[in-house]
Amino acid sequence: MSKADTSGLQVSDVYTAYDKADVLEGVNLEAKPGKITCLLGSNGSGKSTLIRSILGLTPPNRGNITFEGIELRGLPTHKVIATGISCIPEGRQVFPKLTVEENLRIGAYQEDSAGEIQRRFDEVYETFPRLADRKAQLAGTMSGGEQAMVSIGRGLMRAPKLLLIDEPSLGLAPLLVKENFNIIRRINQQGITVFLVEQNVHQTLAISDYGYVLSKGRVVASGTPKQLSKTKEVHEAYFG
Amino acid sequence: MDIGFLAQYLMNGLMLGMIYALVAVGFTLFFGVLDVIKFSHGDVLTVGAFAGLATFLGLEAAGISHPAIQILIVVIVSIVLIAALGAVIARTIVLPIRSAPPLNTLLITLMLGTVLREAVRLFYPQGANPQPFPALLPTNSLTLGNFNLRLDNVIMLVAGVAVIVGTQLLLNRTKLGLAIRAVAQDEETARTMGVNFTLIVLITFALGSGLAAFAGLMNGLYYNEINFGMGLLLGAIGFSSAIVGGLGNIYGAILGGFLFAGLQTIGAVALPFASAYKDVFAFGVIIAIMAWRPTGLIQEKISERV
Ligand SMILES: Nc1ncnc2c1ncn2[C@@H]1O[C@H](COP(=O)(O)OP(=O)(O)O)[C@@H](O)[C@H]1O
Ligand SMILES: [Mg+2]
Repeated sequence: MSKADTSGLQVSDVYTAYDKADVLEGVNLEAKPGKITCLLGSNGSGKSTLIRSILGLTPPNRGNITFEGIELRGLPTHKVIATGISCIPEGRQVFPKLTVEENLRIGAYQEDSAGEIQRRFDEVYETFPRLADRKAQLAGTMSGGEQAMVSIGRGLMRAPKLLLIDEPSLGLAPLLVKENFNIIRRINQQGITVFLVEQNVHQTLAISDYGYVLSKGRVVASGTPKQLSKTKEVHEAYFG
Repeated sequence: MDIGFLAQYLMNGLMLGMIYALVAVGFTLFFGVLDVIKFSHGDVLTVGAFAGLATFLGLEAAGISHPAIQILIVVIVSIVLIAALGAVIARTIVLPIRSAPPLNTLLITLMLGTVLREAVRLFYPQGANPQPFPALLPTNSLTLGNFNLRLDNVIMLVAGVAVIVGTQLLLNRTKLGLAIRAVAQDEETARTMGVNFTLIVLITFALGSGLAAFAGLMNGLYYNEINFGMGLLLGAIGFSSAIVGGLGNIYGAILGGFLFAGLQTIGAVALPFASAYKDVFAFGVIIAIMAWRPTGLIQEKISERV
């Protein structure tokens, strides 16, 4: 797993704890450039903690996390983002008292070119025409589905090389979930590497190139979607 | 009552309201980005006023006596110095104790306020006595019956409005302001968007402290006197104004500042007891408002805290 290939995202032997109890206990995985890599696991298995570890929000106690060969562990979050990463966080986390436009704008916080920012606005509004109609609305007053669009759009405003997505389907109606997965696939087709954390096994595997299963802070299975859908770990991780 | 007297009181109320609003905005900014109450804020204002006075005396000693140059340099030196002091306090005291209970921050900054106050008293020459503050602005005046409209007051009011409007524009129209508001709403997500959290906190503390220095100078220019304890009452009033307006809300802080000054003015003019009771009256009404609306006048429409 920790081969010489330094492109993409590499997570090696990562241990992360809140206070004392270890939540991640030696996680190894990799997200290859240009691919969709998924991490499946039941509630509480440590998926969000891994995202937080990558972002430096809850720094790991041990191990290494590299992106394109750059060591991320120990960097403050804004420097992690500066390497070309953006995140669509669990629960969407739109800024409730910022307008839709301001929410999107802050997604491009590290971009200085006004022309480039405008180009990204145009792109996001093209993907989500609904947001274009609601530019001035406070994000906190929108429906869950609309907030999901804001959160995805905000993540895209970064024009990331690697997009981390934490449970995008959580709390959404089935129709919206399907739409969300289609959008993720389209994002990836534009050349963005995707690391997708999900509980929704079937639809996630359907769009992924490679997957891992996390259980109690450890990777218990990995493989192509075809291989994973057959392994007992996937079933155990959810129903065992 | 004579209309000229009323106009005089109105002018006085506006001046005080402006000073209080400037102090209150600082409290609300600090609370916004870090959820802390920084009790040394009033004493930082005192340091600002004294820094301005010392700068003036230095300019006099250096033979620079052109009033326009004097006021410009006094304002710039005081604001820059106090903004830096605010950032240093944030960096060395407020940020390191972030993970401690909020009460600790309150207590520690309360002590820091005492240190600043006592430092002014002990180390400024004759610091224990009130110091005359020079009239650096033109004091020409226009007399209309009982109303004496002074040019320096008009200039200060206009400058105060400009500073408050400028702060609003900074917060609502610039990228820096967007980052400050984002950090205030959700620190972690702001960081996830690539915002340098520590830097934004330091800038916010510098901004709020710079506003306090401006308020301290206004206070000195208005009363032509400053003293080491001036920040105590101004801090208490600014804090009450921020609270009554709805802590964390800029408009609330401005509203609260003018409300407090309005109450003081009513207490001095319209009530049957001596004007010395105006603060008692104003604080009393604030307490009643807080009992009626515990989260302040401008309530948060959307609760972002879990
Ligand atoms: N902020 C926190 N403080 C303490 N424990 C936490 C915190 N966040 C998550 N945990 C614990 O870490 C474990 C993994 O949580 P999480 O990473 O959120 O799982 P998942 O995203 O897979 O549902 C859980 O047992 C959870 O209770
Ligand atoms: Mg999670």
